Amino acid sequence: MLLRASGEATGQAFDLHAVTEGAAMARSGVAHEETLLAFTEAMVSDEREALVIARTRVLDELGPEALVDAAAVASNFERMVRIADATGIPLDSFLDEGTVDIRAELHLARFESPGNRP
Amino acid sequence: MTEISCATAPVPVRDDLLAAHCRAWQRLARAGNWWTGAERVAIAAEVRHAWQCSLCKARKAALSPYTIAGTHDSVSQLSASAVEVIHRVVTDPGRLTQAWFEKTMAAGELTDAQYVEIVDVVVVVVSIDSFCRGIGGPLPPLPTPAAGEPSRYRPATAQLEAAWVPMIPVQGARGAEADLWDAAGRVGNVIRALSLVPDAVRQLMDLSTTHYVPRDRLLDFTWGRSLSRPQMELIAGRVSALRGCFY
Repeated sequence: MLLRASGEATGQAFDLHAVTEGAAMARSGVAHEETLLAFTEAMVSDEREALVIARTRVLDELGPEALVDAAAVASNFERMVRIADATGIPLDSFLDEGTVDIRAELHLARFESPGNRP
Repeated sequence: MTEISCATAPVPVRDDLLAAHCRAWQRLARAGNWWTGAERVAIAAEVRHAWQCSLCKARKAALSPYTIAGTHDSVSQLSASAVEVIHRVVTDPGRLTQAWFEKTMAAGELTDAQYVEIVDVVVVVVSIDSFCRGIGGPLPPLPTPAAGEPSRYRPATAQLEAAWVPMIPVQGARGAEADLWDAAGRVGNVIRALSLVPDAVRQLMDLSTTHYVPRDRLLDFTWGRSLSRPQMELIAGRVSALRGCFY
């Protein structure tokens, strides 16, 4: 959960519930969170109309470079989640130990299957 | 056709990102460790078709995908096991289970290394297509396969640990695999996951450097592009949650 780490490094405390609850409940404290989350959700859902609207909003608020970077980051994690899910890797011990509280608070155990624990 | 052009993209695309996509497309067209170039491009075609597969749609809508039997809508001559792996990893990765993996492998149509290379091709195509859709650009045409035979290279140090597939141990990145990660350092399982096919790890790092964060900046949380690192991590976390990924 590097969002928390990035907040700690920059002296900010982010509410991580935005990650699991999405744009509709966005309150993380990250700048332009609603716009970025709506764009991310539209990319993952691949609903064309929603994606057009969300893309336009990113362009209007943040500009074309940010659109490229947001699409790139989302694409990166479309790759990483599939690698993790298709290979049955366990969570790394160093990640598991450092995220016990967050994983409990966000109920991330619902995404686990047997073998995912180190 | 192994070049990707963003001439028709609606926004300017960074040169480094475009170059990484071109390298990935060139590699996609060539023989890998276990599949020919033609087979790799066939896997890529199957990736794109999976989204329209009737069986995949029915399974995705079901409470459990394992209650829905049937045959995938396929556009290739790949084995049924290969098509099953491609379609499931593309359309419903969050509900893959070890029992599914073991049942798929028990059919005897795939080796563990072939499975890993399929996942490698799938994730490359999924991510580049996802990026193009995200910026509102056209999907690049699939490359023309190059001639050549698979190398059939299997790293000697790969072994079964806790994952479904063998991986190179943390301390095992040496010799021909010395460039994969710093064997003395900390490396995440998600990096080692595809190491049964070492070029898949190299491909992963190449794309991740341009899509996300360069490896040497991963723990530098002040580093960013036009988006700040917290903005990048917000997107990353949301994708993982939407896909139901535990990692």
